Amino acid sequence: MAGSPVAQARVLAQMALRSLASHKVKSLIVGSIMVFGTALVVVGTSLLDSVEAGMERSIVKSLSGHLQLYDAEAKDDLALFGGTGMGGDDYGEVPDFGEVQRVVQALDGVEAVVPMGLGLANMSRGSELDRALDALRRAVEDGDAAARVALIHRVQRLLELMHADLANSRAITADTTELDANLAHVERAQQDAFWAPFAGDDLAAKRAALDFLDTKVAPAGGDGVQYYLRYLGTDLPLFARVFDRFRIVEGQPVPEGRRGLLMNKRFADSQLKLKVARLLDELHDAATLNDARIADDPALAAKARQARSLYGSLTLMLSPEDAAALTETLRAAFPDVQPTEGQSDLDALMQAALTVDDDTLKARYAFFYEQIAPRVELYPFRVGDVLTLRAFTKRGYMKSVNVKVYGTFEFAGLERSELSGAANLVDLMTFRDLYGQMTEAQQAELKAIQAEVGLERVDRADAEAAFFGGADDSVEKVADGSVFGDFEVARIEREAGTRVADDRPFTREQMLDGVVLNAAVILADGVAVDEAKARVQAAVDAAGLKLKVVDWRAASGVIGQFVLVIRGVLLLAIGIIFIVALVIINNSMLMATLERVREIGTLRAIGAQRRFVMAMVMLETLVLGLLSGGVGAGLGAALVGWMGDVGIPAKNDILVFLFSGPRLHPTVGAGNLLVALVVILVVSLISTWYPARIATRVQPVEAMREA
Amino acid sequence: MPRRSPPTSRPPTLLLALALAAPIAWCAPADAQGEALSTEQMVDLLKVVDDRQRNSGDYKSLAYIEQREKDKELMVYEAVVYRRDADDRFMILFTRPKAEAGKGYLRIDKNLFIYDPTVGKWERRTERERIGGTDSRRTDFDESRLAEEYDPSYVGRETLGKFTVHHLKLTAKKDVDVAYPVLELWIDADSQNILKAQDRALSGKLMRTVYYPQWVKVFSESKGAEVYVPKEIHIYDEVEKGNQTHVVIRSVDLKSLPANIFTKAWLESQSR
Repeated sequence: MAGSPVAQARVLAQMALRSLASHKVKSLIVGSIMVFGTALVVVGTSLLDSVEAGMERSIVKSLSGHLQLYDAEAKDDLALFGGTGMGGDDYGEVPDFGEVQRVVQALDGVEAVVPMGLGLANMSRGSELDRALDALRRAVEDGDAAARVALIHRVQRLLELMHADLANSRAITADTTELDANLAHVERAQQDAFWAPFAGDDLAAKRAALDFLDTKVAPAGGDGVQYYLRYLGTDLPLFARVFDRFRIVEGQPVPEGRRGLLMNKRFADSQLKLKVARLLDELHDAATLNDARIADDPALAAKARQARSLYGSLTLMLSPEDAAALTETLRAAFPDVQPTEGQSDLDALMQAALTVDDDTLKARYAFFYEQIAPRVELYPFRVGDVLTLRAFTKRGYMKSVNVKVYGTFEFAGLERSELSGAANLVDLMTFRDLYGQMTEAQQAELKAIQAEVGLERVDRADAEAAFFGGADDSVEKVADGSVFGDFEVARIEREAGTRVADDRPFTREQMLDGVVLNAAVILADGVAVDEAKARVQAAVDAAGLKLKVVDWRAASGVIGQFVLVIRGVLLLAIGIIFIVALVIINNSMLMATLERVREIGTLRAIGAQRRFVMAMVMLETLVLGLLSGGVGAGLGAALVGWMGDVGIPAKNDILVFLFSGPRLHPTVGAGNLLVALVVILVVSLISTWYPARIATRVQPVEAMREA
Repeated sequence: MPRRSPPTSRPPTLLLALALAAPIAWCAPADAQGEALSTEQMVDLLKVVDDRQRNSGDYKSLAYIEQREKDKELMVYEAVVYRRDADDRFMILFTRPKAEAGKGYLRIDKNLFIYDPTVGKWERRTERERIGGTDSRRTDFDESRLAEEYDPSYVGRETLGKFTVHHLKLTAKKDVDVAYPVLELWIDADSQNILKAQDRALSGKLMRTVYYPQWVKVFSESKGAEVYVPKEIHIYDEVEKGNQTHVVIRSVDLKSLPANIFTKAWLESQSR
């Protein structure tokens, strides 16, 4: 067929439109598939981009910064939100943070370099009796009469409770030998004569009585609790400034140049808080945030039952004054409650107050926090307390430090996310103490002690030959008399450290010039992360610092890979849908082509080249693709827009983190629309290529044969 | 919160080593020449080993402890070990380095307390508690009760270097709570000192190998007899290969100790 390209195009377009109109069913089926596919791509990629952006905000603005630097020879990959080692991951170390900061801070686009060091500490809390005895012993040794009297009352009250507890256990135990012995010890400690020495001046007698309580009575009073606390040592003022999601909930920031701990509110709420309060929180959250009902959910019903059963843990904590006051308050709220046999009035009332169902939950939750919570210890610490953290140092020994809790903090928008509770914050000097960083003087001291003994190193493989193979070795080395060797014990010279919080101030230089495990790099707005990563890596390499640079996604551990996994799943789903679409479109077009053999033959008879026929069929799909893709993209954009207005609620804490808040408000970008259109057109053209090839093979004679 | 088991700590291993370094009363050899030991002879031999550790008098030793852990820097300590077995009391006071000085372990009856002067706190350890997050238990620090707690079987008369030794395999008796359910001992046929011990798990997995290459004999006035003390103890971790603990007992003093030293107040006072 002759004619100008423009004329040919016009003819092709007209023919495509006419064909689409004349094959309505086919056009409708193929078009619908294209509309659905395009809308799916628009919605899927928009949601994914929004989630990724949300997650980036959660991670970058809370712990990681845009980039992280750490030891190039680290055994494990950095995982700020927890790795596989349960806190024991080996990230190597950065020996001199000051040097790293000087190199990286000088680069364009770098706003801040924040020193960091993760660790896992143990925080143990003895039983009530252990703690009371410890305080009493301190009062006795310090001669603090007022504290002593109060603490003796406290210990006596605990002995009463312990006696009741042991007696109850005895009633249901077959072999009572051990219980009888424990009861006898408690009863001895309950006698007035036992406490008589505390009124006098005989320190030895007081110590003997305390030893008895410590070693005979207290072991039967329980073991106390161990908490594990993940901490991030950092430059706290800088951290607060650059991680803009950080905010103090209670208390105050740790002052510049001071040691201190900021407890993560989320961690405290989910790990440290009193069990009964946690259960009530969970029930309340489920009801208010997820509209869940205790009556319909067996898991919630179990929590409600457990909360009710824990009334005893609350009444035990009350002082006599609080117990009396609370009994009155509870009696007014629950006038009809009667104790069962053997149950105290307060226990019965407390049990009633903790009995919740869907109708009473809200009111009793409020009652708990208004009336009961202020009288009990909701957390094992209070702001202002000094906590003892214990951790294994890098040399493998246990190190303890006392550190003051200045306050609690949270990351704005992520209050409900467990992942935001990944770490508590301590100053860098406390981190280094727990890490066991030794000064040169300390290392020299170790070498001197080692040199005094001069023990030769014997490896496992050579041990037997070395120890038992010597010709003159004698197993026995006999000393004369009752002393062997020169017994000279070094006078104990202890390093600084006090029973109260370690409050030695430090200078900024001391803080910066020392070991850290990793460092966060905060980039200025608009700086591309990948490009900055390459520049930072080049700069640290040039400075001879053996560090690796990773982006926030890699630094965050498993959670950072989450979006990649979701993206993979979405792409797979879209891929499968498009393969199906491809087959359907291909079949539809093939059928349509076969129906048009006469038409195509006629076109070929009047001079249409194969290329023209190919173009005609392809253009027809292209037009359909454009029209359907446009409609699909519009529908997808409208759907995303609607979701953006309404917001997708984060039903669990992982989603809160991924959505960077309680709701995700997705947005659609031009990129999402363009990608969807391109994808649908490519799929359309691929699926039409084979039918188009068939069409080009139609000979004019076939048109005549059809006729 | 989820937690990993903290990395294996050495202090408990040290404690075990130091506990083992306690005085061993000298008794005459039971069977120095026989080819193999009967069950009765083995039980007698174990009783000898046990009796040696039941020293009624006081004991004080100065110990040097060197810890080597794979991929970690060397750590050394100097500590004084105090024992009064008649009262079941045991105490360790770390004296050097400065960073560790004043730390102490105090056992009274079945209670084991740990004191850290840097934080001024005592902590109770119970039988159920894993010491320092490791598998060591309080029972590790108890006196040797091999004859009471284990049934012996004879593996053979062997040579260990230049020494002829009885190789015994000990299996824990039913319902007895011990740190290691299976022990293997290599006991010098002449002196009846333990030269080598291997601790195994119930599955038979080898956990640790311990060598006692040198012993000193010290006269105890309170006992009116001599006691044996291993001068060196070398512990090789067979699970965490490369981890080693070496203890050298630099001095031993068996004179009576002051009456009131096994107390919290005394231990605290050492670091004030």
